[in-house]
Amino acid sequence: MSDLDLPAWTEPFTDLPGLARRMRLRGVSREWAWGGATGAGVRVGIIDSGLEADHPRLAGRVVQSVAVELVDGDPHVVPDEAVDLYGHATACGGIILGLAPEVELVSIRVLGADLRGKGTAFAAGLEWALDQGISVLNLSLSSKSEALFPVFHDLVDRAYFRGVAVVSAANNVPAASYPSLFSSVFSVAAHSEPDPWRLYYNPAPPVEFGAWGVDVPIAWKDGGSTVATGNSFAAPHVAGMVALILSKHPGLTPFEVKAVLAAIADNPRTVRRRGRKGA
Amino acid sequence: MVVDDDLTAALTALRAVGRRSSVARTVQGGVEERLLQSIVDATASLFDAEASSIALFETDPDRLVFRVAAGAQGAGAIGLQVKPTEGIVGFVFSTGQALALTDVASDPRFNLEAARRTGYVPRSIAAVPLLDDDGSVGVLQVLDKRGSPSFSLRDMELLAIFARQATTAITATKVQRDTGRLLTEVLRQVAQGSLTDAQVEVLVSAATSGLDDDAEDPFWRLVDHVALLRSVGERDLTLVADILGVVARHAQGTRRRA
Repeated sequence: MSDLDLPAWTEPFTDLPGLARRMRLRGVSREWAWGGATGAGVRVGIIDSGLEADHPRLAGRVVQSVAVELVDGDPHVVPDEAVDLYGHATACGGIILGLAPEVELVSIRVLGADLRGKGTAFAAGLEWALDQGISVLNLSLSSKSEALFPVFHDLVDRAYFRGVAVVSAANNVPAASYPSLFSSVFSVAAHSEPDPWRLYYNPAPPVEFGAWGVDVPIAWKDGGSTVATGNSFAAPHVAGMVALILSKHPGLTPFEVKAVLAAIADNPRTVRRRGRKGA
Repeated sequence: MVVDDDLTAALTALRAVGRRSSVARTVQGGVEERLLQSIVDATASLFDAEASSIALFETDPDRLVFRVAAGAQGAGAIGLQVKPTEGIVGFVFSTGQALALTDVASDPRFNLEAARRTGYVPRSIAAVPLLDDDGSVGVLQVLDKRGSPSFSLRDMELLAIFARQATTAITATKVQRDTGRLLTEVLRQVAQGSLTDAQVEVLVSAATSGLDDDAEDPFWRLVDHVALLRSVGERDLTLVADILGVVARHAQGTRRRA
Protein backbone atom coordinates (compact mmCIF):
# COMPACT_ATOMS: atom_id res chain seq x y z
CA MET A 1 0.00 0.00 0.00
CA SER A 2 3.10 2.21 0.16
CA ASP A 3 2.82 3.64 -3.32
CA LEU A 4 -0.84 4.54 -3.31
CA ASP A 5 0.22 8.06 -4.17
CA LEU A 6 0.68 6.93 -7.77
CA PRO A 7 -1.87 8.67 -9.97
CA ALA A 8 -5.16 7.00 -10.72
CA TRP A 9 -5.12 7.51 -14.48
CA THR A 10 -8.79 8.33 -14.85
CA GLU A 11 -8.79 11.00 -12.18
CA PRO A 12 -8.03 13.99 -14.46
CA PHE A 13 -11.23 13.37 -16.39
CA THR A 14 -13.40 13.66 -13.30
CA ASP A 15 -12.10 17.17 -12.56
CA LEU A 16 -13.14 19.24 -15.56
CA PRO A 17 -12.08 22.69 -14.26
CA GLY A 18 -8.59 21.24 -13.82
CA LEU A 19 -8.52 20.43 -17.55
CA ALA A 20 -9.14 24.03 -18.66
CA ARG A 21 -6.97 25.04 -21.63
CA ARG A 22 -6.57 28.28 -23.54
CA MET A 23 -4.83 26.95 -26.64
CA ARG A 24 -6.71 27.23 -29.91
CA LEU A 25 -5.43 26.62 -33.40
CA ARG A 26 -6.93 29.16 -35.77
CA GLY A 27 -9.15 27.42 -38.27
CA VAL A 28 -8.84 24.00 -36.62
CA SER A 29 -12.30 22.76 -35.66
CA ARG A 30 -13.93 19.35 -35.68
CA GLU A 31 -15.36 20.25 -39.07
CA TRP A 32 -11.85 21.00 -40.35
CA ALA A 33 -10.39 17.93 -38.66
CA TRP A 34 -12.79 15.26 -39.92
CA GLY A 35 -15.92 16.85 -41.42
CA GLY A 36 -17.09 14.52 -44.22
CA ALA A 37 -14.36 11.95 -43.49
CA THR A 38 -15.15 8.24 -43.19
CA GLY A 39 -11.71 6.81 -42.54
CA ALA A 40 -11.48 5.67 -46.18
CA GLY A 41 -7.92 4.96 -47.28
CA VAL A 42 -6.62 4.51 -43.72
CA ARG A 43 -5.41 1.16 -42.43
CA VAL A 44 -5.80 0.55 -38.69
CA GLY A 45 -3.94 -2.30 -36.97
CA ILE A 46 -5.38 -3.84 -33.81
CA ILE A 47 -2.78 -5.60 -31.67
CA ASP A 48 -4.93 -7.77 -29.42
CA SER A 49 -6.82 -11.06 -29.23
CA GLY A 50 -7.58 -11.38 -32.98
CA LEU A 51 -10.53 -9.90 -34.90
CA GLU A 52 -13.60 -12.02 -35.60
CA ALA A 53 -13.78 -11.00 -39.25
CA ASP A 54 -17.35 -12.15 -39.88
CA HIS A 55 -18.81 -10.36 -36.84
CA PRO A 56 -21.71 -8.17 -38.03
CA ARG A 57 -20.27 -5.12 -36.24
CA LEU A 58 -17.03 -5.43 -38.24
CA ALA A 59 -19.00 -5.19 -41.50
CA GLY A 60 -16.41 -7.02 -43.60
CA ARG A 61 -13.73 -4.37 -42.99
CA VAL A 62 -11.00 -6.81 -41.87
CA VAL A 63 -8.47 -7.00 -44.73
CA GLN A 64 -5.75 -9.09 -43.10
CA SER A 65 -5.29 -11.33 -40.04
CA VAL A 66 -1.92 -12.40 -38.67
CA ALA A 67 -0.77 -13.92 -35.38
CA VAL A 68 2.53 -14.01 -33.55
CA GLU A 69 3.71 -17.52 -32.76
CA LEU A 70 6.60 -18.34 -30.48
CA VAL A 71 8.86 -21.09 -31.83
CA ASP A 72 11.51 -22.01 -29.23
CA GLY A 73 10.89 -18.61 -27.67
CA ASP A 74 11.44 -16.74 -30.97
CA PRO A 75 8.45 -14.82 -32.31
CA HIS A 76 7.23 -15.41 -35.88
CA VAL A 77 4.39 -13.59 -37.61
CA VAL A 78 2.13 -16.03 -39.50
CA PRO A 79 -1.28 -15.82 -41.22
CA ASP A 80 -4.12 -16.32 -38.75
CA GLU A 81 -7.69 -17.57 -38.77
CA ALA A 82 -10.01 -14.60 -38.39
CA VAL A 83 -11.28 -15.55 -34.94
CA ASP A 84 -11.22 -13.77 -31.58
CA LEU A 85 -10.19 -15.74 -28.50
CA TYR A 86 -11.82 -13.43 -26.01
CA GLY A 87 -13.95 -10.92 -27.91
CA HIS A 88 -11.76 -8.01 -26.88
CA ALA A 89 -10.13 -7.19 -30.25
CA THR A 90 -13.52 -7.40 -31.96
CA ALA A 91 -14.89 -4.97 -29.36
CA CYS A 92 -12.09 -2.50 -30.19
CA GLY A 93 -12.62 -2.95 -33.95
CA GLY A 94 -16.35 -2.29 -33.56
CA ILE A 95 -15.72 0.92 -31.61
CA ILE A 96 -13.27 2.20 -34.27
CA LEU A 97 -15.72 1.43 -37.10
CA GLY A 98 -18.44 3.23 -35.12
CA LEU A 99 -16.47 6.45 -35.63
CA ALA A 100 -14.64 5.73 -38.88
CA PRO A 101 -16.80 3.22 -40.81
CA GLU A 102 -14.59 2.94 -43.89
CA VAL A 103 -11.17 2.20 -42.41
CA GLU A 104 -9.47 -1.08 -43.26
CA LEU A 105 -8.74 -3.22 -40.20
CA VAL A 106 -5.67 -5.43 -39.78
CA SER A 107 -5.84 -8.03 -37.03
CA ILE A 108 -2.54 -8.71 -35.25
CA ARG A 109 -3.12 -11.42 -32.64
CA VAL A 110 -0.55 -11.48 -29.84
CA LEU A 111 -2.62 -13.39 -27.29
CA GLY A 112 -3.22 -17.10 -27.38
CA ALA A 113 -2.59 -20.50 -25.90
CA ASP A 114 1.20 -20.37 -26.06
CA LEU A 115 1.51 -16.60 -25.73
CA ARG A 116 -0.38 -15.68 -22.55
CA GLY A 117 0.23 -12.03 -23.28
CA LYS A 118 3.98 -12.48 -23.39
CA GLY A 119 5.70 -9.14 -23.96
CA THR A 120 8.00 -10.57 -26.63
CA ALA A 121 5.00 -11.57 -28.78
CA PHE A 122 3.44 -8.17 -28.24
CA ALA A 123 6.67 -6.42 -29.26
CA ALA A 124 7.01 -8.64 -32.36
CA GLY A 125 3.45 -7.78 -33.43
CA LEU A 126 4.19 -4.10 -33.01
CA GLU A 127 7.42 -4.34 -35.02
CA TRP A 128 5.70 -6.24 -37.84
CA ALA A 129 2.95 -3.62 -38.04
CA LEU A 130 5.44 -0.81 -38.71
CA ASP A 131 6.17 -2.13 -42.22
CA GLN A 132 2.62 -2.83 -43.40
CA GLY A 133 1.31 0.55 -44.54
CA ILE A 134 -0.68 0.82 -41.30
CA SER A 135 -1.11 4.42 -40.13
CA VAL A 136 -2.93 3.87 -36.82
CA LEU A 137 -2.25 1.14 -34.27
CA ASN A 138 -4.62 0.39 -31.40
CA LEU A 139 -2.99 -1.25 -28.37
CA SER A 140 -5.46 -2.02 -25.65
CA LEU A 141 -2.84 -3.97 -23.76
CA SER A 142 0.51 -3.28 -22.18
CA SER A 143 3.50 -5.00 -20.66
CA LYS A 144 4.88 -4.58 -17.19
CA SER A 145 8.20 -6.21 -18.04
CA GLU A 146 11.14 -3.95 -17.14
CA ALA A 147 13.28 -6.05 -19.48
CA LEU A 148 11.12 -4.94 -22.42
CA PHE A 149 11.25 -1.25 -21.50
CA PRO A 150 14.01 -0.44 -24.05
CA VAL A 151 12.42 -2.67 -26.71
CA PHE A 152 9.07 -0.89 -26.53
CA HIS A 153 10.75 2.48 -26.21
CA ASP A 154 12.64 1.87 -29.44
CA LEU A 155 9.59 0.47 -31.26
CA VAL A 156 7.23 3.32 -30.44
CA ASP A 157 9.92 5.86 -31.30
CA ARG A 158 10.35 4.16 -34.67
CA ALA A 159 6.57 4.28 -35.13
CA TYR A 160 6.54 7.98 -34.25
CA PHE A 161 9.32 8.80 -36.70
CA ARG A 162 7.61 6.80 -39.46
CA GLY A 163 4.36 8.66 -38.91
CA VAL A 164 2.45 5.73 -37.39
CA ALA A 165 0.06 6.86 -34.63
CA VAL A 166 0.25 4.35 -31.77
CA VAL A 167 -2.85 4.66 -29.58
CA SER A 168 -2.31 2.88 -26.27
CA ALA A 169 -4.73 2.23 -23.40
CA ALA A 170 -3.33 3.26 -20.04
CA ASN A 171 -3.36 0.43 -17.57
CA ASN A 172 -6.24 0.83 -15.11
CA VAL A 173 -3.98 -0.45 -12.39
CA PRO A 174 -1.80 2.36 -11.05
CA ALA A 175 1.55 0.79 -11.93
CA ALA A 176 4.17 1.31 -14.62
CA SER A 177 3.17 -0.27 -17.95
CA TYR A 178 4.69 -0.02 -21.42
CA PRO A 179 4.30 1.42 -23.95
CA SER A 180 1.37 3.43 -22.58
CA LEU A 181 3.66 5.62 -20.48
CA PHE A 182 5.92 6.74 -23.35
CA SER A 183 5.49 10.23 -24.77
CA SER A 184 5.54 9.04 -28.38
CA VAL A 185 2.21 7.20 -28.01
CA PHE A 186 -1.34 8.52 -27.70
CA SER A 187 -2.01 7.33 -24.16
CA VAL A 188 -5.73 7.07 -23.34
CA ALA A 189 -7.78 6.57 -20.17
CA ALA A 190 -11.53 6.40 -19.69
CA HIS A 191 -14.09 9.06 -18.87
CA SER A 192 -17.65 8.10 -18.02
CA GLU A 193 -19.70 10.43 -20.23
CA PRO A 194 -21.67 8.23 -22.66
CA ASP A 195 -20.59 9.96 -25.87
CA PRO A 196 -18.18 8.35 -28.35
CA TRP A 197 -17.14 11.78 -29.65
CA ARG A 198 -16.36 13.35 -26.26
CA LEU A 199 -12.60 13.83 -26.00
CA TYR A 200 -10.45 15.40 -23.33
CA TYR A 201 -6.82 16.42 -23.53
CA ASN A 202 -4.96 15.99 -20.23
CA PRO A 203 -2.22 18.61 -19.81
CA ALA A 204 -0.70 16.54 -16.98
CA PRO A 205 0.67 13.36 -18.64
CA PRO A 206 1.53 10.47 -18.79
CA VAL A 207 -2.08 9.91 -19.85
CA GLU A 208 -2.76 12.49 -22.57
CA PHE A 209 -6.31 11.80 -23.70
CA GLY A 210 -9.63 10.81 -22.16
CA ALA A 211 -12.40 9.07 -24.11
CA TRP A 212 -15.55 7.13 -23.32
CA GLY A 213 -14.74 3.92 -21.44
CA VAL A 214 -17.58 3.26 -19.00
CA ASP A 215 -20.59 1.09 -19.86
CA VAL A 216 -19.70 1.13 -23.55
CA PRO A 217 -21.91 -1.11 -25.76
CA ILE A 218 -19.43 -3.37 -27.55
CA ALA A 219 -19.22 -6.27 -30.00
CA TRP A 220 -18.14 -9.49 -28.30
CA LYS A 221 -17.06 -12.93 -29.43
CA ASP A 222 -19.15 -15.35 -31.50
CA GLY A 223 -21.19 -12.56 -33.09
CA GLY A 224 -22.31 -11.37 -29.66
CA SER A 225 -22.41 -8.05 -27.88
CA THR A 226 -22.21 -6.77 -24.32
CA VAL A 227 -21.56 -3.64 -22.28
CA ALA A 228 -18.08 -3.03 -20.92
CA THR A 229 -15.91 -0.73 -18.82
CA GLY A 230 -12.15 -0.21 -19.05
CA ASN A 231 -9.44 2.01 -20.48
CA SER A 232 -9.07 -0.54 -23.24
CA PHE A 233 -12.47 0.59 -24.61
CA ALA A 234 -11.47 4.26 -24.41
CA ALA A 235 -8.37 3.86 -26.61
CA PRO A 236 -10.26 2.73 -29.77
CA HIS A 237 -12.42 5.87 -29.61
CA VAL A 238 -9.24 7.93 -29.98
CA ALA A 239 -7.91 5.52 -32.64
CA GLY A 240 -11.12 6.10 -34.60
CA MET A 241 -10.74 9.90 -34.38
CA VAL A 242 -7.07 9.69 -35.43
CA ALA A 243 -8.09 7.55 -38.42
CA LEU A 244 -10.69 10.15 -39.45
CA ILE A 245 -8.13 12.98 -39.23
CA LEU A 246 -5.60 11.01 -41.29
CA SER A 247 -8.24 10.08 -43.83
CA LYS A 248 -9.03 13.77 -44.42
CA HIS A 249 -5.44 15.01 -43.96
CA PRO A 250 -3.09 12.25 -45.12
CA GLY A 251 0.52 12.73 -44.13
CA LEU A 252 -0.04 14.53 -40.82
CA THR A 253 2.58 13.38 -38.32
CA PRO A 254 1.67 11.94 -34.91
CA PHE A 255 2.82 15.25 -33.38
CA GLU A 256 0.46 17.20 -35.65
CA VAL A 257 -2.42 14.81 -35.00
CA LYS A 258 -1.94 15.17 -31.24
CA ALA A 259 -2.00 18.95 -31.61
CA VAL A 260 -5.24 18.74 -33.63
CA LEU A 261 -6.84 16.49 -31.01
CA ALA A 262 -5.77 18.85 -28.21
CA ALA A 263 -7.21 21.79 -30.15
CA ILE A 264 -10.61 20.19 -30.76
CA ALA A 265 -10.92 18.49 -27.35
CA ASP A 266 -13.91 19.24 -25.12
CA ASN A 267 -11.83 20.77 -22.34
CA PRO A 268 -13.36 23.85 -20.71
CA ARG A 269 -11.92 27.02 -22.25
CA THR A 270 -11.94 29.19 -19.15
CA VAL A 271 -8.77 28.99 -17.13
CA ARG A 272 -9.06 30.07 -13.51
CA ARG A 273 -6.86 33.10 -12.89
CA ARG A 274 -4.75 32.24 -9.91
CA GLY A 275 -2.08 34.72 -8.82
CA ARG A 276 -0.91 35.52 -12.34
CA LYS A 277 1.62 38.31 -12.50
CA GLY A 278 0.08 41.54 -13.71
CA ALA A 279 -3.43 40.07 -13.71
CA MET B 1 30.10 -30.47 -11.48
CA VAL B 2 33.29 -30.43 -9.37
CA VAL B 3 32.48 -31.12 -5.74
CA ASP B 4 35.16 -30.27 -3.19
CA ASP B 5 34.86 -30.45 0.60
CA ASP B 6 33.83 -26.82 1.05
CA LEU B 7 31.12 -27.18 -1.51
CA THR B 8 29.84 -30.38 0.07
CA ALA B 9 29.65 -28.60 3.44
CA ALA B 10 27.86 -25.64 1.85
CA LEU B 11 25.45 -27.97 0.10
CA THR B 12 24.68 -29.79 3.36
CA ALA B 13 23.96 -26.46 5.02
CA LEU B 14 21.75 -25.42 2.11
CA ARG B 15 19.85 -28.70 2.27
CA ALA B 16 19.26 -28.13 5.97
CA VAL B 17 17.88 -24.66 5.21
CA GLY B 18 15.77 -26.10 2.42
CA ARG B 19 14.38 -28.86 4.61
CA ARG B 20 13.57 -26.49 7.50
CA SER B 21 11.83 -24.15 5.08
CA SER B 22 9.78 -27.01 3.64
CA VAL B 23 8.85 -28.17 7.14
CA ALA B 24 7.83 -24.63 8.08
CA ARG B 25 5.73 -24.38 4.94
CA THR B 26 3.95 -27.63 5.70
CA VAL B 27 3.39 -26.86 9.37
CA GLN B 28 2.35 -23.23 8.92
CA GLY B 29 0.47 -23.78 5.65
CA GLY B 30 -2.59 -21.69 4.89
CA VAL B 31 -1.23 -18.24 5.80
CA GLU B 32 -1.53 -17.07 2.20
CA GLU B 33 -4.99 -18.60 1.87
CA ARG B 34 -6.17 -16.79 4.99
CA LEU B 35 -4.78 -13.44 3.80
CA LEU B 36 -6.40 -13.84 0.40
CA GLN B 37 -9.65 -14.93 2.02
CA SER B 38 -9.71 -11.78 4.13
CA ILE B 39 -9.24 -9.72 0.96
CA VAL B 40 -12.14 -11.31 -0.93
CA ASP B 41 -14.28 -11.09 2.23
CA ALA B 42 -13.58 -7.35 2.40
CA THR B 43 -14.15 -6.90 -1.36
CA ALA B 44 -17.49 -8.72 -1.35
CA SER B 45 -18.62 -6.78 1.68
CA LEU B 46 -17.47 -3.33 0.49
CA PHE B 47 -18.99 -3.73 -2.97
CA ASP B 48 -22.08 -5.44 -1.52
CA ALA B 49 -21.47 -8.06 -4.21
CA GLU B 50 -22.94 -11.51 -4.76
CA ALA B 51 -19.44 -12.95 -5.03
CA SER B 52 -15.76 -12.07 -5.02
CA SER B 53 -12.93 -14.47 -5.78
CA ILE B 54 -9.22 -14.72 -6.54
CA ALA B 55 -7.76 -17.02 -9.20
CA LEU B 56 -4.02 -17.66 -9.21
CA PHE B 57 -1.89 -18.83 -12.12
CA GLU B 58 -0.43 -22.32 -11.91
CA THR B 59 1.64 -24.26 -14.42
CA ASP B 60 1.77 -27.86 -15.76
CA PRO B 61 -0.63 -27.36 -17.38
CA ASP B 62 -1.08 -23.57 -17.52
CA ARG B 63 -4.29 -22.69 -15.70
CA LEU B 64 -5.97 -20.19 -13.41
CA VAL B 65 -7.22 -21.80 -10.23
CA PHE B 66 -9.82 -20.08 -8.04
CA ARG B 67 -8.30 -20.35 -4.60
CA VAL B 68 -10.60 -18.26 -2.39
CA ALA B 69 -14.11 -16.82 -2.70
CA ALA B 70 -16.61 -14.88 -0.63
CA GLY B 71 -20.20 -13.66 -0.88
CA ALA B 72 -23.53 -15.47 -1.06
CA GLN B 73 -22.74 -16.87 -4.53
CA GLY B 74 -18.99 -17.26 -4.13
CA ALA B 75 -18.57 -20.75 -2.71
CA GLY B 76 -19.08 -22.58 -6.01
CA ALA B 77 -16.03 -20.92 -7.55
CA ILE B 78 -13.42 -22.43 -5.20
CA GLY B 79 -11.29 -25.01 -6.95
CA LEU B 80 -12.64 -24.05 -10.39
CA GLN B 81 -9.94 -24.03 -13.07
CA VAL B 82 -9.98 -22.07 -16.31
CA LYS B 83 -7.47 -21.82 -19.14
CA PRO B 84 -5.59 -18.50 -19.40
CA THR B 85 -7.07 -18.26 -22.91
CA GLU B 86 -10.65 -18.40 -21.62
CA GLY B 87 -13.11 -15.75 -20.61
CA ILE B 88 -12.79 -12.45 -18.83
CA VAL B 89 -10.48 -13.80 -16.16
CA GLY B 90 -8.13 -15.23 -18.80
CA PHE B 91 -8.12 -11.98 -20.73
CA VAL B 92 -7.40 -9.84 -17.68
CA PHE B 93 -4.64 -12.22 -16.62
CA SER B 94 -3.07 -12.32 -20.10
CA THR B 95 -3.20 -8.59 -20.83
CA GLY B 96 -2.86 -7.07 -17.37
CA GLN B 97 -5.81 -4.83 -18.30
CA ALA B 98 -8.66 -4.39 -15.84
CA LEU B 99 -12.14 -4.55 -17.28
CA ALA B 100 -15.78 -4.89 -16.38
CA LEU B 101 -18.74 -6.30 -18.31
CA THR B 102 -22.41 -5.59 -17.75
CA ASP B 103 -25.29 -7.62 -19.11
CA VAL B 104 -23.18 -10.73 -19.07
CA ALA B 105 -26.09 -13.11 -18.55
CA SER B 106 -28.00 -11.71 -21.52
CA ASP B 107 -25.20 -12.93 -23.77
CA PRO B 108 -25.59 -16.72 -23.96
CA ARG B 109 -22.04 -17.11 -25.24
CA PHE B 110 -20.36 -15.60 -22.23
CA ASN B 111 -18.15 -18.23 -20.61
CA LEU B 112 -21.33 -20.11 -19.83
CA GLU B 113 -19.64 -23.40 -19.15
CA ALA B 114 -17.41 -21.97 -16.43
CA ALA B 115 -20.32 -20.02 -14.95
CA ARG B 116 -22.47 -23.15 -14.87
CA ARG B 117 -19.73 -25.06 -13.10
CA THR B 118 -19.89 -22.53 -10.26
CA GLY B 119 -23.67 -22.87 -10.13
CA TYR B 120 -24.07 -19.12 -10.64
CA VAL B 121 -24.35 -17.06 -13.84
CA PRO B 122 -23.60 -13.39 -13.10
CA ARG B 123 -25.19 -10.31 -14.66
CA SER B 124 -22.09 -8.19 -14.27
CA ILE B 125 -18.41 -8.87 -13.61
CA ALA B 126 -15.38 -6.71 -12.84
CA ALA B 127 -11.89 -8.18 -12.94
CA VAL B 128 -8.47 -6.69 -12.22
CA PRO B 129 -5.04 -8.31 -12.60
CA LEU B 130 -2.76 -9.15 -9.68
CA LEU B 131 0.54 -7.72 -10.91
CA ASP B 132 3.87 -8.35 -9.24
CA ASP B 133 7.30 -7.33 -10.55
CA ASP B 134 7.31 -10.18 -13.07
CA GLY B 135 3.81 -9.59 -14.48
CA SER B 136 0.39 -11.13 -13.83
CA VAL B 137 0.16 -13.74 -11.08
CA GLY B 138 -3.64 -13.94 -10.93
CA VAL B 139 -6.95 -12.10 -11.07
CA LEU B 140 -9.34 -10.61 -8.52
CA GLN B 141 -12.96 -10.59 -9.66
CA VAL B 142 -16.26 -9.30 -8.33
CA LEU B 143 -19.66 -10.50 -9.53
CA ASP B 144 -22.90 -8.52 -9.35
CA LYS B 145 -22.77 -5.42 -7.23
CA ARG B 146 -26.22 -5.44 -5.63
CA GLY B 147 -26.74 -1.67 -5.62
CA SER B 148 -25.92 -1.05 -9.30
CA PRO B 149 -26.11 -2.88 -12.63
CA SER B 150 -22.55 -1.88 -13.54
CA PHE B 151 -19.16 -0.86 -12.18
CA SER B 152 -17.91 2.75 -12.12
CA LEU B 153 -14.36 4.00 -12.67
CA ARG B 154 -14.12 4.55 -8.94
CA ASP B 155 -15.09 0.89 -8.41
CA MET B 156 -12.32 -0.20 -10.75
CA GLU B 157 -9.76 1.90 -8.94
CA LEU B 158 -10.91 0.61 -5.57
CA LEU B 159 -10.70 -2.93 -6.86
CA ALA B 160 -7.16 -2.25 -8.06
CA ILE B 161 -6.22 -1.30 -4.49
CA PHE B 162 -7.58 -4.62 -3.19
CA ALA B 163 -5.70 -6.39 -5.97
CA ARG B 164 -2.52 -4.73 -4.85
CA GLN B 165 -3.10 -5.98 -1.30
CA ALA B 166 -3.63 -9.48 -2.62
CA THR B 167 -0.41 -9.26 -4.63
CA THR B 168 1.48 -8.09 -1.57
CA ALA B 169 0.12 -11.05 0.39
CA ILE B 170 1.13 -13.44 -2.37
CA THR B 171 4.61 -11.96 -2.71
CA ALA B 172 5.14 -12.05 1.05
CA THR B 173 4.25 -15.72 1.33
CA LYS B 174 5.78 -16.77 -1.98
CA VAL B 175 9.32 -16.67 -0.61
CA GLN B 176 8.26 -18.85 2.29
CA ARG B 177 6.51 -21.22 -0.09
CA ASP B 178 9.21 -21.33 -2.68
CA THR B 179 12.34 -22.67 -1.03
CA GLY B 180 14.25 -22.61 -4.29
CA ARG B 181 13.58 -18.95 -4.83
CA LEU B 182 14.61 -18.14 -1.28
CA LEU B 183 17.90 -20.01 -1.64
CA THR B 184 18.56 -18.43 -5.02
CA GLU B 185 18.11 -14.95 -3.62
CA VAL B 186 20.28 -15.65 -0.58
CA LEU B 187 23.04 -17.24 -2.69
CA ARG B 188 23.07 -14.34 -5.14
CA GLN B 189 23.38 -11.84 -2.32
CA VAL B 190 26.08 -13.79 -0.50
CA ALA B 191 28.08 -14.52 -3.65
CA GLN B 192 27.91 -10.88 -4.79
CA GLY B 193 28.63 -11.70 -8.39
CA SER B 194 31.26 -14.39 -7.85
CA LEU B 195 28.78 -17.09 -8.91
CA THR B 196 27.07 -17.08 -12.29
CA ASP B 197 23.30 -17.53 -12.49
CA ALA B 198 23.88 -21.02 -13.88
CA GLN B 199 26.11 -21.95 -10.94
CA VAL B 200 23.52 -20.64 -8.48
CA GLU B 201 20.88 -22.69 -10.27
CA VAL B 202 22.99 -25.88 -10.00
CA LEU B 203 23.54 -25.31 -6.27
CA VAL B 204 19.89 -24.59 -5.55
CA SER B 205 18.68 -27.55 -7.54
CA ALA B 206 21.16 -29.84 -5.69
CA ALA B 207 19.95 -28.45 -2.36
CA THR B 208 16.24 -28.70 -3.00
CA SER B 209 15.85 -31.80 -5.18
CA GLY B 210 13.83 -34.51 -3.53
CA LEU B 211 13.14 -32.42 -0.42
CA ASP B 212 9.44 -32.94 -0.39
CA ASP B 213 8.59 -34.81 -3.55
CA ASP B 214 8.06 -38.12 -1.83
CA ALA B 215 4.78 -37.92 0.03
CA GLU B 216 5.22 -41.54 1.20
CA ASP B 217 8.47 -40.75 2.97
CA PRO B 218 7.74 -41.36 6.71
CA PHE B 219 9.40 -38.05 7.58
CA TRP B 220 6.88 -36.07 5.53
CA ARG B 221 4.00 -38.10 6.89
CA LEU B 222 5.20 -37.09 10.34
CA VAL B 223 5.40 -33.43 9.31
CA ASP B 224 1.87 -33.64 7.89
CA HIS B 225 0.60 -35.05 11.17
CA VAL B 226 2.36 -32.32 13.13
CA ALA B 227 0.75 -29.74 10.83
CA LEU B 228 -2.70 -31.18 11.62
CA LEU B 229 -1.95 -30.98 15.34
CA ARG B 230 -1.93 -27.18 15.14
CA SER B 231 -5.69 -27.25 15.42
CA VAL B 232 -6.03 -29.58 18.44
CA GLY B 233 -6.85 -28.29 21.93
CA GLU B 234 -4.42 -27.99 24.84
CA ARG B 235 -5.51 -31.22 26.54
CA ASP B 236 -5.10 -33.25 23.37
CA LEU B 237 -1.76 -31.60 22.74
CA THR B 238 -0.54 -32.80 26.16
CA LEU B 239 -1.70 -36.29 25.25
CA VAL B 240 0.16 -36.09 21.92
CA ALA B 241 3.31 -34.90 23.68
CA ASP B 242 3.03 -37.84 26.11
CA ILE B 243 2.61 -40.32 23.25
CA LEU B 244 5.57 -38.80 21.38
CA GLY B 245 7.61 -39.04 24.59
CA VAL B 246 6.85 -42.76 24.80
CA VAL B 247 7.79 -43.19 21.14
CA ALA B 248 11.04 -41.28 21.65
CA ARG B 249 12.01 -43.42 24.67
CA HIS B 250 11.20 -46.52 22.64
CA ALA B 251 13.37 -45.27 19.78
CA GLN B 252 16.30 -44.61 22.15
CA GLY B 253 15.97 -48.15 23.54
CA THR B 254 15.90 -49.59 20.02
CA ARG B 255 19.02 -47.65 19.06
CA ARG B 256 20.88 -48.87 22.16
CA ARG B 257 20.04 -52.49 21.42
CA ALA B 258 21.06 -52.17 17.77
